[in-house]
Amino acid sequence: FFAEKHSQLDTSNGCATNFASLQDSGDQLTEEHVTKGESTLSITVVGASGDLAKKKIFPALFALFYEGCLPQDFSVFGYARTKLTHEELRDMISSTLTCRIDQREKCGDKMEQFLKRCFYHSGQYNSEEDFAELNKKLKEKEAGKISNRLYYLSIPPNIFVDVVRCASLRASSENGWTRVIVEKPFGRDSESSGELTRCLKQYLTEEQIFRIDHYLGKELVENLSVLRFSNLVFEPLWSRNYIRNVQLIFSEDFGTEGRGGYFDQYGIIRDIMQNHLLQILALFAMETPVSLDAEDIRSEKVKVLRSMKPLRLEDVVVGQYKGHNKGGKTYPGYTDDPTVPNHSLTPTFAAAAMFINNARWDGVPFLMKAGKALHTRGAEIRVQFRHVPGNLYKKSFATNLDNATNELVIRVQPDEGIYLRINNKVPGLGMRLDRSDLNLLYRSRYPREIPDAYERLLLDAIEGERRLFIRSDELDAAWDLFTPALKELEEKKIIPELYPYGSRGPVGAHYLASKYNVRWGDLGEA
Amino acid sequence: VFMQDGAIVTNSNSSESKTSLKGLKDEVLSALSQEAAKVGVESDGQSQSTVSITVVGASGDLAKKKIFPALFALYYEGCLPEHFTIFGYSRSKMTDVELRNMVSKTLTCRIDKRANCGEKMEEFLKRCFYHSGQYDSQEHFTELDKKLKEHEAGRISNRLFYLSIPPNIFVDAVKCASTSASSVNGWTRVIVEKPFGRDSETSAALTKSLKQYLEEDQIFRIDHYLGKELVENLSVLRFSNLIFEPLWSRQYIRNVQFIFSEDFGTEGRGGYFDNYGIIRDIMQNHLLQILALFAMETPVSLDAEDIRNEKVKVLRSMRPIRVEDVVIGQYKSHTKGGVTYPAYTDDKTVPKGSLTPTFAAAALFIDNARWDGVPFLMKAGKALHTRSAEIRVQFRHVPGNLYNRNTGSDLDQATNELVIRVQPDEAIYLKINNKVPGLGMRLDRSNLNLLYSARYSKEIPDAYERLLLDAIEGERRLFIRSDELDAAWSLFTPLLKEIEEKKRIPEYYPYGSRGPVGAHYLAAKHKVQWGDVSIDQ
Repeated sequence: FFAEKHSQLDTSNGCATNFASLQDSGDQLTEEHVTKGESTLSITVVGASGDLAKKKIFPALFALFYEGCLPQDFSVFGYARTKLTHEELRDMISSTLTCRIDQREKCGDKMEQFLKRCFYHSGQYNSEEDFAELNKKLKEKEAGKISNRLYYLSIPPNIFVDVVRCASLRASSENGWTRVIVEKPFGRDSESSGELTRCLKQYLTEEQIFRIDHYLGKELVENLSVLRFSNLVFEPLWSRNYIRNVQLIFSEDFGTEGRGGYFDQYGIIRDIMQNHLLQILALFAMETPVSLDAEDIRSEKVKVLRSMKPLRLEDVVVGQYKGHNKGGKTYPGYTDDPTVPNHSLTPTFAAAAMFINNARWDGVPFLMKAGKALHTRGAEIRVQFRHVPGNLYKKSFATNLDNATNELVIRVQPDEGIYLRINNKVPGLGMRLDRSDLNLLYRSRYPREIPDAYERLLLDAIEGERRLFIRSDELDAAWDLFTPALKELEEKKIIPELYPYGSRGPVGAHYLASKYNVRWGDLGEA
Repeated sequence: VFMQDGAIVTNSNSSESKTSLKGLKDEVLSALSQEAAKVGVESDGQSQSTVSITVVGASGDLAKKKIFPALFALYYEGCLPEHFTIFGYSRSKMTDVELRNMVSKTLTCRIDKRANCGEKMEEFLKRCFYHSGQYDSQEHFTELDKKLKEHEAGRISNRLFYLSIPPNIFVDAVKCASTSASSVNGWTRVIVEKPFGRDSETSAALTKSLKQYLEEDQIFRIDHYLGKELVENLSVLRFSNLIFEPLWSRQYIRNVQFIFSEDFGTEGRGGYFDNYGIIRDIMQNHLLQILALFAMETPVSLDAEDIRNEKVKVLRSMRPIRVEDVVIGQYKSHTKGGVTYPAYTDDKTVPKGSLTPTFAAAALFIDNARWDGVPFLMKAGKALHTRSAEIRVQFRHVPGNLYNRNTGSDLDQATNELVIRVQPDEAIYLKINNKVPGLGMRLDRSNLNLLYSARYSKEIPDAYERLLLDAIEGERRLFIRSDELDAAWSLFTPLLKEIEEKKRIPEYYPYGSRGPVGAHYLAAKHKVQWGDVSIDQ
């Protein structure tokens, strides 16, 4: 494994960088590999016939294999209730595999090799016997080598604990590590989340649990810390002295489209805000960690979350999309979805204002906005800076000084980019000022395709790098912020503000923002 | 009409400035509104005023290449007053028509195929006249005065003299113009261009002589670098953006570099240059002026006097330059690809054995609270490998950088840098460290970019247009006041004297190279790396 990585250094493909990261992520790990030599990795995707597995997990595993980032010895197991043969699994997977860049060498060959390492095992999720059988098969493949086992739970939350119990009791590695990746939802409030954690911990230690938040695997979210901590020009500005407000914005341009069953149970606040946006906020606002080690970073994130005031009901606006006719086409309302109960009050849109009560951020509004069926698709972080005190050029601006403040925009998707809006003199005689952008568009700067978040996260889990995974205390702190407001929304049956499918969302979001003297940056002149 | 336009636009300015203006004329006029308002007040009820612009030294190169074209551009854009007359004045015998022929060759409409370009040229040329005379003859200027009066036809007359002549006849021309051709009822202003002396004494003597005939507010000393778009923008960047001002001090800035390079030598025109050398020609004026704008404290307002006061303060806070902080060079001949490029002393207009520097690098320091200890490096040279002018601001290292391990051993390569490229290809960019996309954690420097050609489709006006317009409008912000000039000379005079008295021999560098190596050692002495010669600029 180590040797292969080394040889890959020269090829300057994904693995060269990965090698670097291996070094960074701790000598401990490298040592582990060097001394053990003959180890093998088994990745079991539990819920292999599901959508996420097909669309994201298997393709990400193949991409890692293709780039030479998986260890020499590995096998991939699919586990689900459906009866499938190995061949059937391979057929199913192969339809979603793609080589990252078209016409890259040996793509077909590599696919063949990868599929040969994929196997299937059918079983019940709560059957210890079935997992014992899986264990047998894994052992066969491992052939006496030191075995490391990674379980990816791509299954509904109600069977998380069963699977963890069975896998842990019957199919743990005896001489290597066993890790379990779980994905949201991690409960639906403080209590249920606490309960889930407690149950998981009956069978797993904290180090074995890898809670994925796939937004943390996005390139620009990863880059956030680099921007802050490796550039002198940003850190001095990173406080209430200079930052007026921060906006975290997520929007999708489609609705539930017949798949609202799961969503309706949770709503947009649990689905996007409490996890993805809050995680980004924590990374954005945390103090400088002692080091880049996972525990140091996660400790700082917890500190920020614990410094925050729980969200108050009056600081939230909820919305739900309704049907809309445009250009002869009819877009359905949320409740038109057959998988959604007819009178559902589940929010498909929410805007919230949050505050961090610490020395750095006291009084700075952190605004979040997330919605489905909006006019655009995107995720971005917007940092609006304060007005220039005693601005000499006041006369050159129109009356709206808000339009004249600097803004740093980090666009997470699509079209990854970073830009800083500055005031500049419009070239020409006379003195007219205008906002221009200092731009970094990833597409033009970095021609290589950006890896999918799942690739990074899977690789990190394999390497035991926990930086991008959520620790139990982080999760608790995150739920503590949202649980009271969620309970109140549901108990009081607050009716969401309806907004047309494909619109910019309910007007209430503007009133919420203006309450805190904020203007949404994404709805400006742009 | 001009005044009226100005007034109208003043009213509508605030509503229009939000939307991007389409009409060029609108834009220019609205841009002028601030000044126009001022001028409007001055000349209210004097709507019948006229401006006469006399280019003294009309047959010279600068006049042909820069001044007349700039005047035409202003006219074309509707920036000149309704009533104006342009006079060429020089010793050659010429008719009005001959002058017009000469002028017309260098006129261009700014953007090809613009409406009415030919017509506008015709109209412009009709307002151009010629008067031949000696530069030191009061009689000849009296004759000029008569002709000007004819054209002014009883209106209130404002007169602008542009002295495009060698410095040794500055004072004569000023004397004659002032005593025999000043305006009786309007203003009279004189634009002079460098050289303003060659050291403190000669500069002071020149100022003293000029002041015998002119008031301080009649003298417009041009430094055409101050008319460049990005130099103008420097104050806007600093003072209208929150994100830069907090960084603008010794706490965050490691060093500042002012770099000027030309990719050609004197090419047979070294007569003037050899008397002055690159330090007087570029550093003491252009680069020092930019430095002052860069480093000055926030002025009370954007008024000319407030800005110039702050510039003088910075200049006076500076240490005189020490000889050991200067490296001088001179280009030697070089053969490349079969072409032989001549050495400086191969130029026939240059004395054999001349020691005049064609390259210089210097380290300057400002002893004030904001800048104590920050090296301000200047570099200027002819016959280098590239042509450019830029300001580079290198920021300090990140204290306690978490990513030190990712940046390799050369930490200098990992600091932020703000680059303001004045010419060519005007641009502003900020070099930041960024994660290279992909698995793993590799850092790289990327640019946050603002390339003018991509952002602004309009052609950027020539520096002379802006400066002429400002002189006509009495806006003195971009002109150099006498005390500024004194302060600038005080910094350089001891150095220049020492170099010349000790006959210091310049370091030779090949034509078309990156200049003498000494510049690197000078920078290294102050722990600086030149930003323009690193691998990724």
